[in-house]
Amino acid sequence: MPPASTDLRLNLPPEPLRPRRAMENHAQITVDPETVRPATRPATRTLVLNGALPGDETLAPVEEALLALLRDVGSEVRRYSMRDVPLAYCQGCFECWTHSPGLCKTDGDAGREIAAAMIRSDLMVLLTPITFGGYSSEIKKAMDRSICLVLPFFRRVNGEVHHRRRYRRYPALAAVGILREPDEEQERIFRTLVERNALNMDSPVHSVCVLAAGTPPPALRERLEADLKPVLDPVAGRLA
Amino acid sequence: MSTRRAVLLVGSARPRGTGNSEALGGYVLARLAEGGMDTEVFHVARCQRPERERFLFEAVDGADLFVLSAPLYVDSLPYLVTRCCERMAAHRAAMQEGSAVRFLAVVNCGFPELEHTRTALDICRVFARQAGLAWTGGLGLGGGEAIGGRPLEEVGGMTRHVRRGLDLAAAALLAGRPIPEEAQALLARPMIPSRLYTFIGDIGWLKAARRQGTLRRLRDRPLR
Repeated sequence: MPPASTDLRLNLPPEPLRPRRAMENHAQITVDPETVRPATRPATRTLVLNGALPGDETLAPVEEALLALLRDVGSEVRRYSMRDVPLAYCQGCFECWTHSPGLCKTDGDAGREIAAAMIRSDLMVLLTPITFGGYSSEIKKAMDRSICLVLPFFRRVNGEVHHRRRYRRYPALAAVGILREPDEEQERIFRTLVERNALNMDSPVHSVCVLAAGTPPPALRERLEADLKPVLDPVAGRLA
Repeated sequence: MSTRRAVLLVGSARPRGTGNSEALGGYVLARLAEGGMDTEVFHVARCQRPERERFLFEAVDGADLFVLSAPLYVDSLPYLVTRCCERMAAHRAAMQEGSAVRFLAVVNCGFPELEHTRTALDICRVFARQAGLAWTGGLGLGGGEAIGGRPLEEVGGMTRHVRRGLDLAAAALLAGRPIPEEAQALLARPMIPSRLYTFIGDIGWLKAARRQGTLRRLRDRPLR
């Protein structure tokens, strides 16, 4: 059984939370042997959350193609198989805004680690079976716990109210959704949802790829490359 | 003729009696009870264990009307509701004979504009289709935090339009009709002007932080 979380650079265990200075040192000493670059250039990091439900293996070939593509553009990838990750649900208490600003009160599960991986990444990819037009519950569990990444205060964007950013920069957002059978309504809802998430998360760029379950690997690669181009270009560009 | 039954699922993880979703769903359920329906309330956070979940599914299967009242979490339904919907749709798909249950979704959000709730209501409509429930309509409400988890009648005049909208929705459900557009139009009228709502909200966070001694740390970036 594959581990719930994998660092594809050196097959490291999940990064524990540590003070910022220690994290910077850690980033300097972990060099991806497959993507050699000048030491002064910052690494680009991609976080992949796999939201396959228990017993659903239809996402496995898509994830394989996605990880290969990300490796090929030279990004350092951390992945989580959400169904195998111990993660409590968001209780809607807002203590991550007022009691322990920026940190969920729930400790001892993977919540803080995944939130940290989100904000430290350049690109976040949500891989999910499209569920009623939205994400699977496994992805939702992680997304709900990410509100600690924004401030409680409000701002206006295009006449709509959203939360102010807590951090200076947020990752680009990509979503790869798998549909068991063609469904225009669900595809439309899914695209809108990702767009809304990108707006709320202040993602600099976002893209969506909707695939039919069972798409053969060569076509998978082609579709992923084409549909994720808007988010992969900046990732690849920073490494060029 | 047997008495008609309505089941409410409160989709908030907040403790019983403190959530806005419970206040909104409870108001609709009270109107349905006044109209002669038997009513039953479930809280999604208490339906995670298999036996509790089975009680919920059986109650919905035997009901005439299923009402979901949920908050908006990150532009869609919360994890607990999404999981419950996934499992309920699978349960109902496996049934030999589907039961004719009508479905109403009420989604409230903390932003003043109800546009934020549209995606979640779209998701509810697809859930209804996949679970074999008859979609009667969806109601979105912005500025839900103004309710403060209190029963709508206690909140007072600020919720006047909300209550009128929910009254119309309940009357339509009792008469076997879909939710009228006027009900959503009434819920779309802001309880508090948007700029006042965000001002009060921002002040509220500062007050909460001062009470908890975190005022100076409110903008911390602990995960950087």
